Amino acid sequence: MTNCSTWQGRVASYVDAELPLPEMEAFREHLATCPDCASTALALMESKMAVRRAGNRYAAPPELRANMLHFAKGEPAVAHNAAGRDREGYRNFTARHWTGWALATAALLLLAAGLFVAANRRQSAKAVAEFADLHVTALASANPVEVVSTDRHTVKPWFQGRIPFTFDLPDLQATPFTLVGGRVAYFHQEPGAHLVFGYQRHFISVFIFRDTPQLAMPASFFADNTSSFTLRTWTQQGLRYVILGDANAAAIASLTELLQHAR
Amino acid sequence: MKAQTGSYGEFERLAMPLFDSLYNFARWLAQDATEAEDLVQETFKKALHGFSSFVPDTDFRAWMFRILRNTFLTSRTGLRAKLTVELDPADEETTPVTWETPESLALASATREALQAALDGLPVMYREAVLLCDVEEMKYQEIAQVLSVPVGTVMSRIARERKLLRQMLAGERSVRSGSARK
Ligand SMILES: [Zn+2]
Repeated sequence: MTNCSTWQGRVASYVDAELPLPEMEAFREHLATCPDCASTALALMESKMAVRRAGNRYAAPPELRANMLHFAKGEPAVAHNAAGRDREGYRNFTARHWTGWALATAALLLLAAGLFVAANRRQSAKAVAEFADLHVTALASANPVEVVSTDRHTVKPWFQGRIPFTFDLPDLQATPFTLVGGRVAYFHQEPGAHLVFGYQRHFISVFIFRDTPQLAMPASFFADNTSSFTLRTWTQQGLRYVILGDANAAAIASLTELLQHAR
Repeated sequence: MKAQTGSYGEFERLAMPLFDSLYNFARWLAQDATEAEDLVQETFKKALHGFSSFVPDTDFRAWMFRILRNTFLTSRTGLRAKLTVELDPADEETTPVTWETPESLALASATREALQAALDGLPVMYREAVLLCDVEEMKYQEIAQVLSVPVGTVMSRIARERKLLRQMLAGERSVRSGSARK
């Protein structure tokens, strides 16, 4: 166990994800045992999130985008381009909307992972943290999902040939959930499905992988009441499901139920 | 996969996804809508013109932001910003990041507006590193390329700028804005 003082100067590098991978891992383990470092890291992560929200301030005029697009294509500039406006709106949704949310979740997850490790075995904590990372990294990226669709009949076939198994998605009509889309995620080099669901103002990630011992995790995990971060996991027909998000536990439970009975 | 360097298609493919970020950063630099538009246009022009000198598979984003920033620094507003804030040479050195208590880091409790006002209040040269790090999510190495400084300097700049922001928000400091217009 590395001494705490060696970490204190590196909290910012950790939060900025700038430490070499083994050190990121080691720091994460240290956070589990050190409330000082954990709360500092959390505060820094929250301030990063706040700066991001504040810094993403100015939307470019659609005309400028259209002009630059024409310019980049080697075409003469035009005064107005409706397509440019559409793309602008989309970018606002993907990049700005998602990153703020994802970072908020990241902060909660960091706290959650810390709380968790204190009380549980290391291996499972590691898996929790890795899913937390997958969740946050994907949602913070410019394109959180590769297939954007609310239709399960579009999303399910999209995964065919991309992952080595199939799965069923529930009918979400008459439920408070919406399907946002999906992407291929990797856990220990193994491809799996990452589905994103919307619930009120929250986004919930569902990961589906072929079950392996590395995926062993506690059946459910709740952070403290204030963060309301929830993770649930179960196996079903040889597949490991991991559901996590900052929606309330009842919502997570309800989506879990829907997934378990999907056919 | 690799298109011919210098081709319009390749430039468009690389440059257009950066458009919104470049504009946002240009606004933070210039603090003026018209000037930001000019900066972005100028950046695209220079980038396309110099695209043949861009080394494929190196960091295109850092390259574009660097062009944008250099364009700004040679503009009238940029020159003024540079002159207004005489950077302390000691600040530029790699200083160890000091330990701070979580309480002192309570920046997250600030509202978006308060934080924007604090960012506005900082001289341009004292907010660019933190914006590139936190808003653009650039790696230290990329920021180093944009700002043309060593990575160690990037780290101390980010730490300094975060600290300044916290002080501004806590009302402990009011930095004269080097970029305020008029
Ligand atoms: Zn510690």
